[in-house]
Amino acid sequence: MPKKIILQISMIAAAAAFVGHTAVAQNEGKTGSGAEAKTAAAGETMDRAKVLRAAADALGMVRWSDIGAGATRLPGIDIITTMEIFASGTVYNGAQPTVAEYHAALAYIPPAMRVEITRKGAGEAASHSIQTVRENYAWNESEIGAGLIPGKGIATPAMPAAKGRLLQLWILPYGVVKAAIAAGDKTKLLMENGATVITFPLSGSLAGTTVTATLDSKNLITKVETRPDNPALTNMVTETEYSDYADHGEVLTDIKSPGHIVEKQAGRPVLDLQVKMVNANDPYLVFPVPANVKAATTQTSATGTGGN
Amino acid sequence: MRSYRCYFITTAALLCLLPATLCAQEFSTIRRTVNAPPKPSGTTPRTPDGHPDLTGVWNGLGDNLLGVPNQIANDGVSIDSENSSHDIATGTQIATFPRNTTRGLNNEQGERAASLLRRVGSNRPIYKPQYWDMVKEFDQSANEEDPSNNCMPAGIPRAGIPSYIGQYPNSFIFIYPGQGGLIATQTMYRMIPADGRKHTPLEELDGTYTGEGIAHWEGDTLVVDTWGFNSSTWFDQIGGYFHSENMRVIERFHRDGNTLTWTATVEDPDVLLEPWTTTPRVALLNPKPDAVLPESLPCSERDLTHTVTKEHH
Repeated sequence: MPKKIILQISMIAAAAAFVGHTAVAQNEGKTGSGAEAKTAAAGETMDRAKVLRAAADALGMVRWSDIGAGATRLPGIDIITTMEIFASGTVYNGAQPTVAEYHAALAYIPPAMRVEITRKGAGEAASHSIQTVRENYAWNESEIGAGLIPGKGIATPAMPAAKGRLLQLWILPYGVVKAAIAAGDKTKLLMENGATVITFPLSGSLAGTTVTATLDSKNLITKVETRPDNPALTNMVTETEYSDYADHGEVLTDIKSPGHIVEKQAGRPVLDLQVKMVNANDPYLVFPVPANVKAATTQTSATGTGGN
Repeated sequence: MRSYRCYFITTAALLCLLPATLCAQEFSTIRRTVNAPPKPSGTTPRTPDGHPDLTGVWNGLGDNLLGVPNQIANDGVSIDSENSSHDIATGTQIATFPRNTTRGLNNEQGERAASLLRRVGSNRPIYKPQYWDMVKEFDQSANEEDPSNNCMPAGIPRAGIPSYIGQYPNSFIFIYPGQGGLIATQTMYRMIPADGRKHTPLEELDGTYTGEGIAHWEGDTLVVDTWGFNSSTWFDQIGGYFHSENMRVIERFHRDGNTLTWTATVEDPDVLLEPWTTTPRVALLNPKPDAVLPESLPCSERDLTHTVTKEHH
C-alpha cells in the first residue's frame, strides 16, 4: 500500500478517534457537572434530578461496576451506607467551649449514629460521652456496645433525644442528598446570590422540619440549615457549615468529606471540628438496640410520655 | 497482484471484525443491566423418591467475573432498573442513577467502586461488641488478613452455591470450582451424607475448611447442617467476618424450575451476638444438557506482594 494512502488512513483514524473522544468528554461535561442545570436556572426551572445528581457526584456517592464489562452495564447507585468521622476541635456546653475529641459512627440503612465525645480539661471539665440513636431508639452508652451483653456496660435510654440525634445524621452532606432525593417532588431548587439552594422537608419522625442546603460552584454542600415548621420553635434552628472537602480516608475511596464542620443552634455555636480522618469505605458499624432500651421504649409508649 | 492484495485486505478486515461480532452476539444474549435474581421457569424435576432433583451445573448466570454483578446482589443490593435499587434485607430504596459516561473506569476507579458496591447492603452479622473493632480492622486490612488469600479455600458459607450438585439417594456431591482474579479461591468439594446419621461430637472433629456436613430434607428444601470447621475462613470476601471453631452453618437449598435459591444461617455463640442469615442467592441452571465444569486454572497469587495501599484487591 502506498505510503500516502497509509498516511491518509492514519490521519482519518486519528481524527475519528479525536472526535469520538471529544464527544464523550462533552457528554460527560453536560451530564456530570451540573453546569447545565445552573445555567438554565437563570431564567428557567432547574432540573432537580440533574442538580441532585451533580451534588451526589461531587461527594463521590455514585458508583457503578465495570467488572465484567461487556456482559453487564449496571447503573450507578448511592454507595454511602456506613461511615466514621474522626475529628478534634471545640464542643460547646451551653456557651462554655471545651476542647474535645469527636468520633461519629453512622449508618443510613437503617438510620443510626453513635457520637463519642471526649472532652479534655481538668476536673469536671473532662468527660466522656457516647450518645447513640437507631431509628426511634436513643440511648447513652457507658462504653461502646454497652447493654448488649449482661454485665458489660450500661445502656441508659434517652428517648427524648432521638429526634435531635437523628437530625445530625441527615444534616451531613450525604444525608442531605439522600433525603432530598427521597423527598421527590417536595424538593425545591432556587438560586440565591448565584448559588444553588436545595429545600426539602424531612419525613418520618423528623417530619415538621425543613432543610435548606447551599451548593458551591463545585456542587459541594457548604451550608445546611434546618428549621422547624412551627415558628415557636426557633430555638431549634440549626446552621452547619462544611468546608475543605477532600478524600480524608486512610483507605482511599474518592468520597469527598468536609475537613471543617461548624454547627450552630439558635445562632449559638455547638461544634467547631477539624476532621482528621474519615473512613468512608462502608466500615463495619452496627447499632443493635439493647433489650432494656427496647423495653423502656415500650413502657414509654404505653404510658404516653415519650419524647417521640 | 492488485486483486490478490485486495482480496487479502478484505479477508483480513472480515477476520478482524468477526470476533467482535461474535462477542457482541454472545454478550447480547447475556448482557445484564440489572442484577435482580433470575425468575424461575420450567418445572422442578423430581427423583424417584419424590424429592426435588438438584442435580445439575448451576452456573447459568456465568462463571467467574461474569457473575460479579450477581455477587453484588449476593451482598444485599438489588438493582432493579436504571433508576431503581433496593437494599434486599430492609427493602430500603437506594438512589440509582443512569451512567453519565461511556468511558470505562480505570483500574483504580474500578477497584474502589467494586469494593464499595459490595459493601452497600445492610445485612451484616452482629458480632459481640468486643469484636467490633477487630472485624473492622480485618476488613480494612483484608489484603493482608483475609485467610483465603494465597489461594486457600474459601470455606463455608463464603463459597455460596456449588457450581455442580450431584444428588444420590443417600448423599450429595458439591463442587466449587476455583476461580481466579478478583474472587480467587481454591477448588473445593464436599461429599455430604443424607442417610439419617448424626453429627460426630464437635470435640472429636479436627476442624476443616468445609466441616462435617449432613443433609436432610425439610419438605422440598434440602437442609445441610455443618459443623467441625477450622477458623481459617471468613463469611465473605468483604467484611472481615471471621468466626471461631464453634461455628455451625445451616444451609438451605430450594429448587424452583431452573433456579436454585440458597441461604446460610451462621451460628457462632463464641463471637456472634445472634445467628446471622446470608442474603439469599439465586443460581441459574446451565441450560445445556451436556454442560460440564471446565478445569479450574491453578490458583497462583501474584498480586499481593505488589499492593502498596489498603484498597481492597
